[in-house]
Order: sequence, then C-alpha cells, then structure tokens
Amino acid sequence: MIERWALVSGLRGDLETYDLIQRDLKKTRGVTALFVLGDLVGPERNCDALLDRLKNPHRGDLKPDCIYGWWEEQLLAERGFRGERKADALRLSQGEDAVNVLLNTVNPSNLNWLASLQFGFIELDCALIHGSSSDVGDNLTSETSPLILLDRLTRLNVNRLFTARSTKQFHLELTGGGINSQVKDLNGKREQQQEVPKRSVIGIGAGLNYTLYDVGSDKTHFLTAGSQTKTKGMGFA
Amino acid sequence: MNHAIISCLHANLPAAEAVLNDIDRQGIDTITCLGDLVGYGPQPNEVVELIRKRDIPTCQGCWDEDIIDGLNACECSYPSQLAERRGHLAHQWTDDQLTDENKSFLASLPTSLRRDRLLFVHGSPNSQHEYLLPDMDAFAALERVETAGADILFCGHTHQPYVRELRDGSIRVRLQNADHDCDQGEELTLPMRKIVNAGSVGEPRHGSTNATYVIHNDATDEVEIKEVPYDVGRTCQAIVEAGLPKVFAWRLSHGFEFAEQAEDASHVCER
Ligand SMILES: [Zn+2]
Ligand SMILES: [Zn+2]
Repeated sequence: MIERWALVSGLRGDLETYDLIQRDLKKTRGVTALFVLGDLVGPERNCDALLDRLKNPHRGDLKPDCIYGWWEEQLLAERGFRGERKADALRLSQGEDAVNVLLNTVNPSNLNWLASLQFGFIELDCALIHGSSSDVGDNLTSETSPLILLDRLTRLNVNRLFTARSTKQFHLELTGGGINSQVKDLNGKREQQQEVPKRSVIGIGAGLNYTLYDVGSDKTHFLTAGSQTKTKGMGFA
Repeated sequence: MNHAIISCLHANLPAAEAVLNDIDRQGIDTITCLGDLVGYGPQPNEVVELIRKRDIPTCQGCWDEDIIDGLNACECSYPSQLAERRGHLAHQWTDDQLTDENKSFLASLPTSLRRDRLLFVHGSPNSQHEYLLPDMDAFAALERVETAGADILFCGHTHQPYVRELRDGSIRVRLQNADHDCDQGEELTLPMRKIVNAGSVGEPRHGSTNATYVIHNDATDEVEIKEVPYDVGRTCQAIVEAGLPKVFAWRLSHGFEFAEQAEDASHVCER
C-alpha cells in the first residue's frame, strides 16, 4: 500500500485547529496515518476538549497516533510523573506563574493518558519525535549545524527524523561529504574514511501548519489547514 | 609543555602510586584526573586521599557520581544481570567503606574541566556514563567535541586508551522546500578535532595488565600513551581479602580486553 502520512504538532489545546486539519485530511487523497508529535497541551486555553477528541475520535476522523511534546513534559514533570524532576525548563524560561497557568489547563483525569504517551515512533526508517533523540526540547531547524542534525539521526540509526519542536517547516537533506579519522592506540595506527549517509531532517510545523509525507517517493508537502491556495495538485477532491 | 592525564583509578592504590611515580620521574607537574577514583578496587579511601593530598584537578566519574547520588544508571550500563549484580555489590561495598569526608570530596567534583581549548570529562560532554569508543561514528564523535566548544577532548571511562584525530570533514546539505525552490546545496567544512582517551590506571582493559595514562604536549599537540607495570598481585589479593567479587581480580590479572559494557555503547542513560 502506498503510504501518506499527515504530521501535526503544537495544537496546544486548540480543538478548532484540529478540526480544520481533520476536515482538510478528509478532502485529501490517500492519507493512511495521522501522527500528532506532541504539544497537544499548552498554556493558552483549557485543553480537555481537544484531549477528549484525540482519545475518542469522531466518526470520520483519521485516528491520531500521539506522542508527548515539550509542554506535556513540563506538565507531567510538575505533576510528579517524572520522578524528582519538575517543570524546571518552563519555570526557568517563563516563571512560576506560567507553571500554574499550565497546571490549570488540563483536568487531572487526563494526566494518566498523557503519561502513557511515548517519546517517539520509529516507522520504517523514520523517527517521529517532538524534539530529537537527545531531548524533547531539542530545537532543530534548517539553520541547525548539519553536524548536530547528523548526530541526532545517527543516535536513532534512522534515515529520516521528523521533528516539531521548532514549529518550523523544512526538509533538509544531507546529500554528501565525508570525514577522515585516524585512531592511534597501543596496537598501532589505523585510518578510517566515512561518508555522509543520505539522510534528512524534516520540520513538520505547528498549529495550522502541518505536513503531508509520501513515504514511497520521500516527498513532503507543507500545508496550512483551511487554506486552499497550497492544496493544488495535492489530490484534493 | 607536557602535562599528564589520568583516569579510572578505581580504588587501585598500587597502580595509582606507580603511575604518579612515573609522571613525577619525568618532571611533569601538571596532572589532570578524569574521575572514577573508586569502584571495583579495594582501596577507595586511600586513592581518594592520594588525589586530595596531591591536589590533582579531577572531574567526577560515573562511579564517583553513583556513590554520591545512588545508583542512577539504569540496567543499560551493564551487559548482563550477573555483571549488574557484581556492580551493585561493589557499589555497596565502596559506599560502606568511604568516609563521609571522602564522599563529600567526590560530591564536590565538577563534571568537566576546561583549560583554553582543552576540555576534560569522564565519559563525554553529555554524560559521565556515555562511552566514546575509538570506532564510534566519526561525525558523532566530532559533534561531541565541537558542541562542547573544544579543540581537544580528553575522556576516559572506556578503559581503553586511544588518540583519535578527526579531519577533512565536510557535510553537504540541500533544502527541499515547497515554498521557494532553492536547489543549490551548501557545504559545511568541519574543523579538525581530537579525542584523547586516557585509558585506565586502576582497571585496564586494553589486553595487558599495565596501567595506562597519556601525556599531551600543548605546544606540539603530540600525545603519548604510556603503559606502567605495577604490582597487580597485591591489588588482586586485596580484592579477594576485601570480599569483593573475585572476577574483578581475575580481570585485573588478565587486562581483560573484552570490556564489560552495554551492547549499545552509545546509549545514554536518561534516568
Ligand atoms: Zn572507569
Ligand atoms: Zn566510568
């Protein structure tokens, strides 16, 4: 079967946005899976309605597969789901008030479900993660040093890394290059050459900006839910 | 100027004394220690006190960290359940032996030391528990040094000494974007960097029983791996007498080259 994935992130409790995306996807041909790469919750609004919809899809919804993101990590840490760690990153960057605001956006009854979400998915030779293998908050963009991007791919031993943390949409391919290394130890010296593997990092966007990925042809399409302008040629009915 | 780097003393006093004597004999007075003062071996207090007395700048090793924080590493640090049990036993024994004063010394150690373009860590700049093996992916190795902002990274933890030079590196990238077609690629030229692993003073695993350490000349950047014989029998006997697992003594007397470590050496414990 030809696979086409929809990749969404940064909904931050916005049911309206999610609804628009679902409507878009209904009109798009051949979408086989919907991945929500974290930040289902956020500080802007109450998130329970969105979480309910994700947990219990409407009839006709493409069923979402969710992982947790940076905001879930903060919430779960503060609620005691991460051992001794608390919402330190949020507290440090936005202060105590921001932590309290976040706590009030999610009904405690939803916490267990959020805590059951995985860090990422490995599908075929693709890793789907909110940040990267290094950290859920790892902010990868097309400006990030290719050395770091390559490291994040290598850690997972995948050819493609889909990331959402930066909220940017990009598809950066590593197309070539190499490195020489010489190791000297007590047994002598040896030389090694290594090529840059053909790999890519894909930023999927956030909120209304989402991504379609055609697995067979390795093509990404960056879309904005509810806008008709970019949908030409996308097989919309 | 020549300076010496030692690592992984692992409570082996005869080995630590032999190495320090060897360094002294060469008139080298700058020494940096990359941690793991304790663990496996029978003289944890003696070795910590030797380092304190000589006032040797030291980073915290994985064992030093675990003694302070409790066993933080997950099972992933051990290749088998048996190895894990032995590790726990040695941990418990070391914990019982160490004086409070020596424990607070271990707790006070920094995770890294920096002198200009030289960075000193135990495992990697990411973690005391990460292994930088000599044959690990060259780009990933370079990333560790580069992200840490160093020219030369000194590490230990693998118990196998090596010098690795990473050079002539480049990565070509191309942005594939639906909005604006920019087909032209870009090429990043990577800088030359070095990783120097100091091996192990007190628990060598390079195939011989000799203690190892390295000497770096900071004018020429030459690195020499040094081997020092010591009275292995004395340490082995002390291990057995202390009631520590006999396999530790066996390993010392063989310079066990098949390092007991997790299969996925690049795995970093996140707990
Ligand atoms: Zn060690
Ligand atoms: Zn270690």
